[in-house]
Amino acid sequence: MSGNKTRAEIIVITSGKGGVGKTTTTANIGVGLAMKDKKVALIDTDTGLRNLDLLLGLENRIMYDLVDVTEGRVPYKKALVPHKKFRNLFLLPTSQVKDKSSVNPEALMKLCDEMKSEFDYILIDCPAGIEQGFQTAIAGADCAIVVTMPEISAVRDADKIIGELGRADKDNIKLIVNRIRPQMVEQGDMLDMKDINDILSITCIGQVPDDEKVVTSTNRGEPVIMTEDSLAGRAYKNIVRRILGEDVEFMDLHKDTFLRRLKRAFGMN
Amino acid sequence: MKTRLNDTAQEVELVKIKGVKQGLLLTFSDISDFNKVEAEINSKLTSGFFMRGTHIFFKPGDLSHANEELLRKIFARYGLIFKVMPEVIEKTAPEIKADDTVETEYEDNKEEQERATQEETVKESDDITQMLVVNRTLRGGQEIKTKSSVLVCGNVNPGAQVIAGGSIDIRGKCYGMVHAGAYGNTEAFIIADKLHPTQIRIANLVARPPDDMEETEMAERASIKDGQIVIEPIDR
Repeated sequence: MSGNKTRAEIIVITSGKGGVGKTTTTANIGVGLAMKDKKVALIDTDTGLRNLDLLLGLENRIMYDLVDVTEGRVPYKKALVPHKKFRNLFLLPTSQVKDKSSVNPEALMKLCDEMKSEFDYILIDCPAGIEQGFQTAIAGADCAIVVTMPEISAVRDADKIIGELGRADKDNIKLIVNRIRPQMVEQGDMLDMKDINDILSITCIGQVPDDEKVVTSTNRGEPVIMTEDSLAGRAYKNIVRRILGEDVEFMDLHKDTFLRRLKRAFGMN
Repeated sequence: MKTRLNDTAQEVELVKIKGVKQGLLLTFSDISDFNKVEAEINSKLTSGFFMRGTHIFFKPGDLSHANEELLRKIFARYGLIFKVMPEVIEKTAPEIKADDTVETEYEDNKEEQERATQEETVKESDDITQMLVVNRTLRGGQEIKTKSSVLVCGNVNPGAQVIAGGSIDIRGKCYGMVHAGAYGNTEAFIIADKLHPTQIRIANLVARPPDDMEETEMAERASIKDGQIVIEPIDR
């Protein structure tokens, strides 16, 4: 993968249900891969409801968007927004004024093919739902990351999405479980990994705890993976290493929170 | 149908099409001039109203052998399957609504079509001894519907449906909706490694598992006993 600039891995990040953290995950994995010296492009396909630029703090640098590119007004390189800090991370934002019908699957596939030779990774942030926006977003992808939450409706929607991905012959599917609250899982008030695996039965590459730091970092436009001391940031770092092919053990969320609380009690944090 | 009514109509309809459980039923009011009948069917087909793969039935004895062959060829041109109305199945299929067919097309197009061509050569009564093998997990929103029995090598997830004329064997966990003996066969049964469906139906009986269902390590089998659906652990 690394050094081989002829063929980027194209990953679509999808979930079915809204609000589970697709965009947050895209931003964090994107930054994480860039921190590992990979050349990364992030494509926002949530036309009309774009957010990815906000999370990266790049809103005021946008000149052109995805619709300009797919409609042939500008070459994609002109629309790419380089990240402030990581010069090998680029965002291809989408339009906020158009809607999902402005980009069709063929156009995105063509664009991905064009971009493939320039990058190590291309991450596509997919809109919620299973309609046209979803079909467009998955069209050019080699593999998919399904983001879900330990909540029955999110898991059901993830299941449906995995079925839809299968119908579109996308068989390389990985799972990220986001916004886990260890205490609630412990008390049996939240689905645990076994419950989720029972239904979804696909390889899990990440378990991300619900962390207040995600909210603050989102508002600042700096993905949480850039902060040193957050649990969610560490979880995302592990996900990035797993994407790069490393075998990383899952961190024990329960023990960690307890330790952290202990540390805080002794003023060590 | 009263002939008097037909006579007064502006244009006499020689062919009537009626929706039935598994497709459409053709009835003929007058086949003395078969050329006219043929012309009418042709004009109906060119309207493009019929979905490919639909079964078109006729009542046994309505048509001569030659006419039957003629119509079969016409329908085949439009991807429609023309055959004798299966009496047995019509009588004992109270559960399935005609509009269900549309959903099936959505999910298992390929399998449905394969089966449709098979069915041409298989007698209706043989269907129940046939088995459809599904070698994957059925996820939410996916549906299998068949007259035969079904073997699922994988799980049946919540929101998925398996509707079978015969029995259902799930080599995995069952959380979805399962309906065995959907065309009236009360001998049909359902087996799964873990049988925890949202709803379970056999023939015309419906049951749902109790809210606090006990966990068992053994495979389970649901069948009708004394007019009730019962679930019992089995070895396998």
